[in-house]
Amino acid sequence: MLRQRKFLISGFIIFLAIGYLGFVGFQSSATYYFTVSELAEQKSAIHDQNVRVYGQVAPGSVEQETAGNLLRFTVVHGEENLPVLYQGVVPDSFRAGGDIVVEGKLNSDGIFQAHTLMPKCPSRYVPE
Amino acid sequence: MADIGYFALLLALVGSIYSVITFIVAAKGKHPAWNRSARISLLAVCGLVSISVAALVYALVTHDFQIEYVTSYTSRDLSLGYRLSALWAGNNGSLLFWAWVLSVFATVALLTKRHLSRELLSYASSIIIATEAFFLILLLTVSNPFQKLLSIPLDGMGLNPMLENPAMILHPPVILAGYAGFTIPFAFAIAALLSWKLGDGWLTAARKWMLLSWLLLGVGNIIGAWWAYVELGWGGYWAWDPVENAGLMPWLVATASLHSMIMQRRRRMFKVWNMVLVVMAFSLAIFGTFLTRSGIIGSVHAYSESALGPFFLLFLALVLCGSLGLIYHRYDKVKGEIETESLISRDSIFLLNNLLLVGSAFIIFLGTIFPVISEALSGVKIGVGESFFNYVNGPIFLAIIFLAGVCTVIGWRRASMKVLLNRSLGPLVSALVLAAVLFFLGIREWPALIAFPVCWFVISTLLYGWFHDIRTNRRTKEVNYLKAFWNSIGENRIRYGACIVHLAMALIAIGVTGSSFFEVEKEARLKAGESMAIQHYVLTYEDIKHYQTQSTMVVRATLSVSNNGKFVGKLTPEKYFHQNFQQPVTEVAIRSTLREDLYVILAGWNKEGAVFKVLVNPLVSWIWLGGGIFLLGGLIVFWPKRREITSNNDEPIPESKEEVPDR
Repeated sequence: MLRQRKFLISGFIIFLAIGYLGFVGFQSSATYYFTVSELAEQKSAIHDQNVRVYGQVAPGSVEQETAGNLLRFTVVHGEENLPVLYQGVVPDSFRAGGDIVVEGKLNSDGIFQAHTLMPKCPSRYVPE
Repeated sequence: MADIGYFALLLALVGSIYSVITFIVAAKGKHPAWNRSARISLLAVCGLVSISVAALVYALVTHDFQIEYVTSYTSRDLSLGYRLSALWAGNNGSLLFWAWVLSVFATVALLTKRHLSRELLSYASSIIIATEAFFLILLLTVSNPFQKLLSIPLDGMGLNPMLENPAMILHPPVILAGYAGFTIPFAFAIAALLSWKLGDGWLTAARKWMLLSWLLLGVGNIIGAWWAYVELGWGGYWAWDPVENAGLMPWLVATASLHSMIMQRRRRMFKVWNMVLVVMAFSLAIFGTFLTRSGIIGSVHAYSESALGPFFLLFLALVLCGSLGLIYHRYDKVKGEIETESLISRDSIFLLNNLLLVGSAFIIFLGTIFPVISEALSGVKIGVGESFFNYVNGPIFLAIIFLAGVCTVIGWRRASMKVLLNRSLGPLVSALVLAAVLFFLGIREWPALIAFPVCWFVISTLLYGWFHDIRTNRRTKEVNYLKAFWNSIGENRIRYGACIVHLAMALIAIGVTGSSFFEVEKEARLKAGESMAIQHYVLTYEDIKHYQTQSTMVVRATLSVSNNGKFVGKLTPEKYFHQNFQQPVTEVAIRSTLREDLYVILAGWNKEGAVFKVLVNPLVSWIWLGGGIFLLGGLIVFWPKRREITSNNDEPIPESKEEVPDR
C-alpha cells in the first residue's frame, strides 16, 4: 500500500504543520481569564503577566481625565474590587454597571493597567 | 395577534410531528397513501409558521407593545424598514425567522425533487421536519416571541442605534438562512444512509442546497465584517470573536464539502468523507447557534446565559451521535471505489484543500472553546487572543488560495508537466518579479512579501487560463471574443463561476494582507484650527456641532482633509446619543479609495478641543470588492442550466470537454 502511505505521510505533515503554527500562536497569545475574585487569590502568581479580568464596572467609580485621555474605574465581582487605569479610546459599549473584560497587567501597587477594554454588549444588542 | 401567532406555532408543532411520522411510514413504502398526507402536512407546517411570522411582523409594524418582543426592539419613531428588520434583531424573533426559512426550504426541497426516489425524499423530509419541530418546541417554551407584558407600555425601547445600518438589515437574515439551509443536505445524507440509496442521488439533491447555504453564509460573513468596520469604530473588520467564529467554521467546512462533492461526482471518490462533511457543516451551524445563545464563552456579542444552551447541546449530541453512528454502521456500502493515484494531480489538490479547510475549522474550534476546555482540565480559564487565530490561519488560507491557482493547470488524474509549465510559468515568473519589486520599494514584512505574489500568481493563472479557453472557444466556434466570453460562462457555469469565486478570494486576501500589515494609527488632541498629519494626509479640525433629531443627540466634528497638499474633502465623524440607550454610538468617517481608507474616529471632546483617532488602512476596499465578486461568482455557479444533467441514477457525470486533457 505504498500509495496510501504517501498520502498518509503528507496528511501527517500537514497536521504537524498546523499543530506547530497553533502551538507557537498559542504561546504568544494565551492569556489567563480570571474574575476579579479569582485574580485576588492569584495576585502574586500572575504578577507582570498579561491577563484578562472579568467583572462589572462599579457605578460611581468612573473618572475620565480628558487631559491625558485617562480613564479610571473599579471593576467588581462578588466581594472583591479592582481599580483599573486605562489610556485610549473608550469603546462605546462601556458603561457603569455593565459587564466588562479588561486585559492588561496588575501593577505592584495593586492597580490594574489595562491596554484593552472589552465591555459586554447588553444581551439584546447584536442579534448574532 | 400574539395569540394567533402562538397558536399557529402550536398547530405547526402538531403538524410537524404528524409529518415526521407519516413521512417515515411513506418511506417504508407499505402504505403509499400516507405519502400524500405527509406532503400536505409539510406544506401545512410551512403555511402555519408563515402565519406566525406574519403575525409578529404585523405586531411590529403596528406598534403592538403588549408583546414583549415588540417593546424590546422597536419604538414609535423607528422607520418601517427597521421595524421589519426587528423580526430578526432579537433572540426569539431570530429563531422564529429560522424556523420559517427552514419550513420554506423544506417545501421547496419537497416540491422540486419530485423525481428523486420516494424513499430518499421521504426520509429526508422527515429529518428536515424533525429539525423544524425542535425549533418549534423552543419557540413554544423558552423562546416565545409572543410573550405578553402585563401592562402595555406607551412606547417601545427602540432598536439599538448601532443596528440602524443597512448592513444590519441584511446580515442576520442572510446568516440565519445559511444556517437553516445546511439542514437540507444533512437530511439528504442521512436519508441516503437510512434508505441504503448510497449512490449519487442524494448528492445531486444536496449539492445545490449546500451551495446556497455556503453562498448565503459567505455573503453574510462579509456583510458582518463590513458592518463591524464602518459601525463599531475600532478600525478592524474581524476580531475572531466566538460569535464570528461560529459563522466562519460552518462556512469553511461547507467550502470543503463543495469541493469534495465535485470529487465524488467526477471521480467517484471521498464518499464517506462527503457524508461526514455534510454532517459537520450542519453540526457546526447548530453548535454556533449554541455558542451564541448560551453565554458559555465570554464574548462581546453573546447573549447572556439563557435557557437555550442545554436544548441546543442536546440536539447537537443527538445529531452527531446519530449520524456518525449511522455512517459507521453503513461504512462498507458507502465508501467509494477509486483511490487517488498520483501525488500531483487535481485529486490530491482537492484532498489537500479539504484537509486545510477542515484543519483550519478545527483549530478555530479549539481556539474558540479553549477557555471551556482549560477550565475543565485545570480549573483555570485560559483564552487565546486574536494573534493566535491570525498566526495559524494566515498561512493556511494563503496555502488554500495558492492551491486554487495551481489547480487550474493540473489535470485530474495526473499532472502533465508540459501543460503545467506552459500555463503557470508566466504567472510564476511575474509573481517573483512582483516580490522583488515590492522588496525594492521598501516592504520588508515577509508575510506580505509572500502573500502579495501568491495572490498575483493565483489571479494571473486564473485569468490566463480563462483567456486561453476563450481563445480556443473563439477559434473553434468562429465567434468574436465577446460571444466566446459569454459562451464560456454559459456552457460551464460551475467552472467559471468557481474561477470568479477564487479570484474574489485572492482579492480579499490582498485586502486583508494590506490592512493587516500596513495599517498606520495615530491619536491626536486638536484645538479648533489645528492640524495633524498622518502618512501623506493632513487633517485640520474645524469645528464641532451638537444638534438634536427626534430621538437622538448628535455630536458632529468636521475636519478638512488634504492629500499631499491638495484639498480633497471634509470628513465628519460623529457620536450619537440615543435617548433610550446609555451608550453612545460612534459614526466613523471614512474616505475610501482603492489604495487605502482614511478612517477617523471622534474619541472625545471638551471646551478646549477634540480627540481623534485616525487610521490609514491600506487596501481595505479590495475586501469589499472581493466580496461583491464572490457573490457574483457564487450566483453564476448557482444558476441552473437549461438542460441540467440530473442524476437520479447512479452514473457518474461525464467529464466536461473543456477540462485540461489528461495525458
